[in-house]
Amino acid sequence: MKLFEYFGFTGKVNQLMAPKQQFIAQKISRRYCVFAISLFSLQGIVALLGAVDLVIPDLPSPIPFEYGRAIHLGLSTFWPLIGTMGMIYFFITAELNREIYSPRLARWQFWIVILFCLLILGSLALRIGNGREFLEGMPIFYVGICLALALASYNLIQTLLTDKRNITPAAATMTVGMTFLLLLLLPNTLTYTNPIADEATKFWVVHLWEEMAFELTSAGFIATFYVVSGLASRAQIEKWLYLEASLAVIGGLYGTGHHYYWIGFPAVWLILGSLLSLVEVVPVGLLVHMTYKGLKHKKIRSNREKLTLWLLLSSVFYHITGASLLGLIITVPWVNLYMHGTFFTSGHAHLALFGSLGFVVLAGCYYVLSQGSEPTLKGYKGGVLAVILLNSGLIAMSSALMVAGLMQAYFWRILGMDFMEVRLSLNPYLILRVLGGMVFTLGDLLLSWHIYRTWRTTNAK
Amino acid sequence: MKLKTLLLLSTISLALFIAITIISSRLPSPIPESAVAGKLVWQRHNCISCHTLFGNGGYDADDLTNITTKRALSYLIDYLVQPPVMRPNNYTHHPALDEVDAENLVNYLEFVDTIPTLGWPPQEEDAEKDL
Ligand code: HEM
Ligand code: HEM
Repeated sequence: MKLFEYFGFTGKVNQLMAPKQQFIAQKISRRYCVFAISLFSLQGIVALLGAVDLVIPDLPSPIPFEYGRAIHLGLSTFWPLIGTMGMIYFFITAELNREIYSPRLARWQFWIVILFCLLILGSLALRIGNGREFLEGMPIFYVGICLALALASYNLIQTLLTDKRNITPAAATMTVGMTFLLLLLLPNTLTYTNPIADEATKFWVVHLWEEMAFELTSAGFIATFYVVSGLASRAQIEKWLYLEASLAVIGGLYGTGHHYYWIGFPAVWLILGSLLSLVEVVPVGLLVHMTYKGLKHKKIRSNREKLTLWLLLSSVFYHITGASLLGLIITVPWVNLYMHGTFFTSGHAHLALFGSLGFVVLAGCYYVLSQGSEPTLKGYKGGVLAVILLNSGLIAMSSALMVAGLMQAYFWRILGMDFMEVRLSLNPYLILRVLGGMVFTLGDLLLSWHIYRTWRTTNAK
Repeated sequence: MKLKTLLLLSTISLALFIAITIISSRLPSPIPESAVAGKLVWQRHNCISCHTLFGNGGYDADDLTNITTKRALSYLIDYLVQPPVMRPNNYTHHPALDEVDAENLVNYLEFVDTIPTLGWPPQEEDAEKDL
């Protein structure tokens, strides 16, 4: 029990600071962030059950694995999406130092995105879906998500246009990112009879949302955070941000080629995909450079900013390793030929999607919800413990998947053994994955609990 | 760099990207009616959660891109209509389809098999047809 108290599971974890003047948009952004965090904790549990289902034969379950997996994949995009929506409203007002165009639209947008998100998850639980990986819900529900994205884009664009002379690069980059989310999801509300077109369009969400649109929204958020916490000067950021954004757009778009290698596309995509994927990595270099310089010059004192920074630094770490380095390795067509469709990809997927994107969104949501408070030492320690658990769990889980993937590539792809024989021999690694997943989920629940309590404290004022 | 430059670059890149994606999506031959129906069966039953096509999908069962060169059509239809217990389970059967759905689905997989994939997967199983 002492230990519990030490890490702030119980007792006071936050104290209120002098309330800052808040914009209405910043108040609204809080509900997005709370909802995102709730979905994130749900995901940890669903994921763990799914992983257990894979290693215990005949496990009874009200939701069969194929729909559980669909829910997991839905969650893996929904909570970052909803968190991002909240973060953008918060940080765009902080950037521009004025209210957004229409707080009312932002409220409507919240209920719309929640409604359709729950409709998708609920219908999948009832085994109703459309069977396209990552977009397993009924197409009509994605139209609802598009509606929410359209409201968001409209609201942000109007906000920028209200004062055309004061558009900052961070605000513009976030707006462009949001608009891209909409444009890329739209074609996925249609039904395709052509399997090649179907597959290609799917990657406009699977790849382009994550590796382009969310890169832009995250870059805008990180830039704003660095400016407000004094890690970088505004002038420095303004010099780099548009360049970073342009490279992310071009690299992201044509880098989609690394998903187009074997789906029936012409061979030119092998060249396009592998070369342009290199461009994708350049903005990561710029980000790392900026972070390194900032940390060298400035000491952060506030525990709130420190905790945010721990989450952000975790993201930077996976951006370099799990996303960029690992991504580049499997982008080489000769490597991809063997690694494609094995658990190795799954290792990359978890490191990149949660590691780089997930941690950014958690950092943003935490920062938004803790506005006007400061964690006590106990609260701070608990938060750091959660970050450590999340990182260890993620690394354990993904390493197990990558070893399993290498074995699959060797026995199944190179030696030509039967798929199922190889798959059954991988059970020890999948059990290790479950163990890693447990640590991860523990960190997930601990962090969510802390953020939830922070939200309660700051709500009270 | 200016915002205008970013917007211009984004618009041009996106338009060009969409155009070449559409051009690249051309099918080697028109897809037959029954294969279209089969594609919907595939989606309705969420097969992609366990299987892969073109290597994309779940990792819990074999890739089915070229399954129709490895197995006889009648074997596949029987498998789907009267599904066996799935290894390593003792009770859980593979999801079942009715006869019409199963035939359409197999037609779809037969069509998928005709799509050229630039030499992927790297090694076909020693392809004696299992009957
Ligand atoms: C934040 C950055 C990134 C995220 C969120 C991300 C996410 C993902 C996800 C979820 C998948 C799995 C898709 C599936 O299961 O069908 C994937 C696959 C892949 N990623 Fe990334 N990724 C990131 C960065 C990168 C980078 C920078 C590269 C290369 C330079 C890269 C190269 C690849 C390749 C080649 C695959 C396909 C593997 C295959 O199916 O054969 N990724 N990525
Ligand atoms: C407790 C932690 C987690 C566990 C145990 C877990 C487990 C799983 C399992 C069992 C699958 C299905 C793989 C298969 O078909 O064999 C999967 C897929 C996936 N998960 Fe997770 N997951 C976890 C957390 C996350 C998080 C936090 C994210 C992203 C925010 C994520 C993103 C994905 C993605 C993109 C896929 C699809 C690509 C793939 O099959 O690897 N997962 N995960």
